[in-house]
Amino acid sequence: MITFDHVTKRYEGTARPAVDDLSLQIPEGETVVLIGPSGCGKSTSLRMVNRLIEPDSGTVSENGRDVRDFPPEELRRQIGYAIQGVGLFPHFTVGENIGVVPRLLGWEPARITARVEELLGLVGLDGLAYMDKYPDELSGGEAQRVGVARALAADPPVLLMDEPFGAVDPLTRERLQSEFVDIQARLKKTVVFVTHDIDEAVKLGDRIAIMREGRLIQYDTPERVLAYPADEFVAGFVGAERALKRLSLAPISEALDPAVGLNDPKATVPLDSSLRTALARIIEFGVPVVGITDEAGNVVGSVSIESIVERFKRPLL
Amino acid sequence: MRRGLTARLFLWPTVAFAAYLALASMPGAWSTVLHAVFPSETRVLYQQASMFELIGRTLELVAISSVLSIVVGVLLGILVTHGAGTDFLDVVTDLANLGQTFPPVAVFTLAVPILGFGVMPTVLALTLYGVLPVLQNTIAGMRTLPSAIVESAAGMGMSPTQSLLRIEVPLAAPVILAGVRVSVVVNVATSTVGAIAGAGGLGAPIISGLVNADPGVTLQGAVLIAALALILDAYLGALEKGAARAVGIGR
Repeated sequence: MITFDHVTKRYEGTARPAVDDLSLQIPEGETVVLIGPSGCGKSTSLRMVNRLIEPDSGTVSENGRDVRDFPPEELRRQIGYAIQGVGLFPHFTVGENIGVVPRLLGWEPARITARVEELLGLVGLDGLAYMDKYPDELSGGEAQRVGVARALAADPPVLLMDEPFGAVDPLTRERLQSEFVDIQARLKKTVVFVTHDIDEAVKLGDRIAIMREGRLIQYDTPERVLAYPADEFVAGFVGAERALKRLSLAPISEALDPAVGLNDPKATVPLDSSLRTALARIIEFGVPVVGITDEAGNVVGSVSIESIVERFKRPLL
Repeated sequence: MRRGLTARLFLWPTVAFAAYLALASMPGAWSTVLHAVFPSETRVLYQQASMFELIGRTLELVAISSVLSIVVGVLLGILVTHGAGTDFLDVVTDLANLGQTFPPVAVFTLAVPILGFGVMPTVLALTLYGVLPVLQNTIAGMRTLPSAIVESAAGMGMSPTQSLLRIEVPLAAPVILAGVRVSVVVNVATSTVGAIAGAGGLGAPIISGLVNADPGVTLQGAVLIAALALILDAYLGALEKGAARAVGIGR
């Protein structure tokens, strides 16, 4: 668990603090996304966790211990770090890049090699083919994958990610996000993730912390942020389509009806889709209700426009 | 695949240097050619020392002063781009600029009474002259490092020294080496002025020819010094290219 306790940071020559009395708890094993417009203090907050920036007042602690109790280098070797633009070292091979922290920690070369191969596999790259490549021989998406592998190298319990998928095309970006969700489901790291993309925040975050001008405005689950934005600013930030974003978080099972009133046998969606996909099919076929199919293709129920609207009237916990 | 400095890069400069030394071992040929250029002159070759001795002394002067320039320039450049040293960035840059504007002849005039005639005042003047390009390029190389890379090094737990030696200096090396190249080539040319202070080297035939009105002797020294400058430039160019390749530029 990472705790920000009344943390304030002011840069010289600025009118307001970059981070203003921030108190925030990031539970063990969860992904917390810090989000807000430029200059809201999200990156500054992230960097205070590994002491790249020191707070003026307040404390940042990891599992109850003030991060300032650790020597900075020792602290940083225990915290994975991946940033925008990736920051791969261009004169190191992929293998050497991933092995940086293990080498700093004094691992045996054989153990480093084994770990590098394991990590390349984890992020979906063929270890043997990529190990000896140089960063400028990689595509944007591959470089970002290596960046994530490098952050995971010494198996740190905490990961700091500052817009790690910022510099790739939208399609690659979505794929990297999905892979990250899969990896995180297995590894259960405590992740602090900075982005300015609300869709990314909704997709990746167990919780979202919305910041503005150095202050924390709302800290909640993605669904609650979308359903109950704390104020006009948050409502504007999550966007006019927030209802659709909520739909994408809701599994079909939440609005499942018996399979009745189905007119078009082609108007179906798979059971593991979101309500957003179901709504898209309803609009696409111009029907009030679509069928739900299981993996074998059998119709097991239906979702109607009414049931989706009803689902939205139910208050969230 | 490993890449970067390869012996191949140095092939042509080495061939050129071998040809240069071969020519320097043939005073007879020089005499014939220079007599043909200046038919009215009786003395066309420098007599007090062999061409090898002259080249050797020039290389000695350039080597000592260049090593000093590089050490001072790189260390100062690193110092004023890191930590508390950044406060001195402007002062140091101004001082180095001032050193560059100071004529080398004036350095001799001021230094000879203290250091005496010969190699010492020359090395001092050449060193002062050579620092600026190295310093400027070290500063530029350090300041243009991508911030994501430097921050990654710190964020992954490298100490400032580890970051400097493993990441920053290697990545800035092509830019620093470009400065070294300028510094060395300028030093070769400027080293001829050292003959006034009695440092010898390839400046000696140039000055001697000038004083005794022997244009052939001056031409001999000038050709040898120009060719030497070109060869050293080619060597350092190859080094720079290799360093650039090693960090993934210009492949």
